[in-house]
Amino acid sequence: MMSLRQAVLILLAALVPAGISALVNPRRPPWSGDALLPGEEKLKTVLAWGPKVLWVDARSQNEYEAERVPGAVLLNLEDWDRLFPRFLDRWSPDQKIVVYCSASSCQLSHEVAKRLEQSGVSPVYILKGGWEEWKAAR
Amino acid sequence: MRKPVFFLLLSFFAASAYGQLVFEQPEQSFKAKPVEGSIVAKYRFTNTGTVSVKIENVQTSCGCTTASLKKTEYAPGESGEIEARFTIGGRIGKQEKAILVTTSDAREKPIQLKLLVDIEDQIRIQPELVLWRVGEQADPKKIEVTVADDAPVKIVSVLSDNPSIKAELSELKPGKKYEIQITPTDLSRQGGATILIHTDYPPQNPQTRYAYARIK
Repeated sequence: MMSLRQAVLILLAALVPAGISALVNPRRPPWSGDALLPGEEKLKTVLAWGPKVLWVDARSQNEYEAERVPGAVLLNLEDWDRLFPRFLDRWSPDQKIVVYCSASSCQLSHEVAKRLEQSGVSPVYILKGGWEEWKAAR
Repeated sequence: MRKPVFFLLLSFFAASAYGQLVFEQPEQSFKAKPVEGSIVAKYRFTNTGTVSVKIENVQTSCGCTTASLKKTEYAPGESGEIEARFTIGGRIGKQEKAILVTTSDAREKPIQLKLLVDIEDQIRIQPELVLWRVGEQADPKKIEVTVADDAPVKIVSVLSDNPSIKAELSELKPGKKYEIQITPTDLSRQGGATILIHTDYPPQNPQTRYAYARIK
């Protein structure tokens, strides 16, 4: 009985510093799916930026034509050479660019954002949750 | 006495009646050049189990990759293959794509196949975009074009599609390093040009690369 009590006390003593570390450690791991990957922004944040946002749809042309964020411009790596000049015609250097693809699981928005930055276009952000997130919020 | 033996035998046979797809190379790596257009990977597999396996779904992690198979049901001992086609498009550098195969024997745990493609950019254009603001001084800007050491490519000419934005090519290191000087003549209003960079490769259908100039 005595040893059980001691084990519980040791466990409790360990929980205190562990809890503090979990709260304040700058390199703590993300605890939920809400955590943002580098370059990602939440829909709420992007909407707060107001009209100075240029939405970029990184999905396929068919998906874009079916439904899209109002005012979004199509830009994907499948057809970069044809679409990039059209994007440039719409873009203003004062705008924040927000790229989205289908959902959190797709990588196309990250790929397009990287390519835009390599091309010298900035600042570029990625919508966390992509089109699914946008639709859910409507 | 008989009952435990029966259940023991039943559980043994139940556990041994299974279907399982075993892939020869679940992870495949390729080196590619942008001119190749696409990469095809073939994932061969065999049903090493004792019952038929049905492939219920094949899903790729990117719209750039498609996967196809000739049939969906495979008897014990039967082999087949999944063909994945990766479209290079404007991609450069290391690419990692996943193909998830859901089978009737393990619906909750799809088999993950990997396709790794390293796309070598034979012609590096830096920067791809040169930008002026309306009203600023019309100073020329430079674009550097570098050809990879082992690439049999030469830049033969450049052309601006807008006469008011001029493009001039000079060779800094024969066959390897070039400079394109872009000079706008009118910065009083917005405008732009696509700079066509003509190469001599591949010989039967020489590739054209692009850079862009914008006045915003």
